[in-house]
Amino acid sequence: MSESALPLPLATRPRQMGFRRKAARVFGELREAVAQAAYALRAHRLRATLTISGIGLGIAMLIGILTVLSGFQVSFLRQLNTLGPNTLFVHKWKWGVNGNDWWKYKNRPHVTQLDWRALEANANLPEAIAPIVSNDASVTYGGKELKHVDVRGSTSKYLEATGWQIRRGRFLTDLDHELGTDACVIGADLEEAFFKGQEPLGQRLKVGPSTRCTIVGTFVRKGNAFGQPQDLRVLIPLSAFTRSFGLKRGLVLSVVAPAGKVTQTEDEVISVMRNARRLRPDQEDNFSVNRQDKLLQGFNQMTLALNVVGVLIGIITAIVGGIGIMNILLVSVKERTREIGVRRALGARRTTILLQFLCEAVMVSAMGGFVGVALGAGAGKLVDVLTPFPASVDPKVVIGGCLGSILLGAIFGIWPALSAAFLHPIEALRYE
Amino acid sequence: MALIELEKIVKTYELGHQKVPALRSIDVRIERNEFVAIVGQSGSGKSTLMNIVGCLDVPTSGRYRLSGRDVSDLSDDELADVRNLEIGFVFQSFQLLPRATALENVELPLIYRGVSRKERREQAEHALDLVQLSDRMTHRPAELSGGQRQRVAIARALVTQPSLLLADEPTGNLDSKTGEEIVWLFHELHEKGNTILLVTHEPKLAARCPRAVRLVDGVVVADGKGREVALANAEALGAETLAAFNAAQAAQTGRRVP
Repeated sequence: MSESALPLPLATRPRQMGFRRKAARVFGELREAVAQAAYALRAHRLRATLTISGIGLGIAMLIGILTVLSGFQVSFLRQLNTLGPNTLFVHKWKWGVNGNDWWKYKNRPHVTQLDWRALEANANLPEAIAPIVSNDASVTYGGKELKHVDVRGSTSKYLEATGWQIRRGRFLTDLDHELGTDACVIGADLEEAFFKGQEPLGQRLKVGPSTRCTIVGTFVRKGNAFGQPQDLRVLIPLSAFTRSFGLKRGLVLSVVAPAGKVTQTEDEVISVMRNARRLRPDQEDNFSVNRQDKLLQGFNQMTLALNVVGVLIGIITAIVGGIGIMNILLVSVKERTREIGVRRALGARRTTILLQFLCEAVMVSAMGGFVGVALGAGAGKLVDVLTPFPASVDPKVVIGGCLGSILLGAIFGIWPALSAAFLHPIEALRYE
Repeated sequence: MALIELEKIVKTYELGHQKVPALRSIDVRIERNEFVAIVGQSGSGKSTLMNIVGCLDVPTSGRYRLSGRDVSDLSDDELADVRNLEIGFVFQSFQLLPRATALENVELPLIYRGVSRKERREQAEHALDLVQLSDRMTHRPAELSGGQRQRVAIARALVTQPSLLLADEPTGNLDSKTGEEIVWLFHELHEKGNTILLVTHEPKLAARCPRAVRLVDGVVVADGKGREVALANAEALGAETLAAFNAAQAAQTGRRVP
């Protein structure tokens, strides 16, 4: 035995801790707290796993919902932009109409070529007006048939009114419509299906049951909008369309307003349409002028509701997970009551004990959070791949999920940790 | 200056509306390098006294000076620091952390003192060396015998080089042979200059201490040479036991012969 079994003389005994000692103490306590927490979790693997998976599922659900919603939103906005912000759509139907009014809109007269003519003649503000009519038909070339092709009739104004672009060849001209020629412009999907590596211009297609058309141009690929492919499309002159498919189909008039004058243009279009249809002042409009931003409003209301519901569900599951943490922590405190007493006897302060149990809580919840973020992001990716909705994983959501879960552990761990810290050392030591 | 000065220490517990006196008025002075046994039956207040001396509890009234510093009304954190810096505890049931190795158990109080990792390891190894357990450092408590566990506990109490070693029935959970070894260890530590306060109900242990204090119902009834106090204690105990035995006998015979 050596001399150091002797107590130090009082003078050399450190009463007041210097900064380095304090730092070493805090660091040592933290290391020890983490080690003990990790050990406690390993020792009760099943218990910890259950709690972690509870939190993980909650966070995963929240992140999954937010991811799908934000992906939905992003894609919707992108698609909405394809409609053009300054474009009005005159139609029999009102966009976003709900089921109760279905018959009202169904019974309205179609928008016809007369309405189009009236607008062309009497509306001054529009920069371009394109009548559009479409039909689902099959298209045949060289013995190969493609079904469910979107066959559209329109005029030379179509490009201006919709923002579509020609990749090769030319678009339909006014003369094509006047003469009712057999010219047609095809979408990228059709070009790919029929003319892989071949020259499509000048080739003849059979559109619908009887019409034959000559390809004069091809469109630039447009991609999907609202879950619908847009590139399986043939555009023919309006007159040729009515000849082939009859006059009974209603038109959509795509009206391009000058920038900043959308509302005035809308008013003018309404008054010209009412005049053309000879509506009395007391009669309602029997047509609708649709605008992109109206659609956006409805959509925003819907997604706001979905977002609120998603966040509420997430909060509820987080609370359930938090209660799980609180529960296992209370059990842990009970099991280790004597240990708490020993630590207090050896000089652990209340904050030391608090830190130790908070550490355990945060460790559980953080692990749950990471599992949840991984699951949620994975689910979002799966939705992205398997469904037409492009779900995008927002890094903000990922960081928020991780930090939120850590916070969750701290919030729900504080009470059990405090109850451990405020145990009386003597009672804790005597606890059986 | 005495290491421990207890002046008119009173401790009263409140159980509901009832006040239960545990210590009535204790005046004890213990010098440095003394080896004192506190004896008394259960309920005599010796555990309460030990808790107060060990700064685990504060007295209801009275003054307690440890190394000249008044610790009778310190805050909870200050008491924790005093326990860490001045006192080494040895418990009856060892109270080692079951998940930690012997070395980690001994290091524990040094963490709360803010000793760096390297120094901690050195000091803990040295303390284990002192109790002849250098070859058991990485064992967990479950892999050690009772005597070895108590040695680890003593090493843990010694590692901070405390002013006072406080042992509460240190041999209570050990068989007589290992208990004997532990008692020898305490005597050795005393010879090296440590101050030791031993709480026990065994007169045999107290008899071997240079000084013993006997408590009855929260009052010091004897303070003197360990041998004499223990003897008096044993006699008192014997008398009490005899009286109890006689009473029981009387009750039995009374029932038999109405």
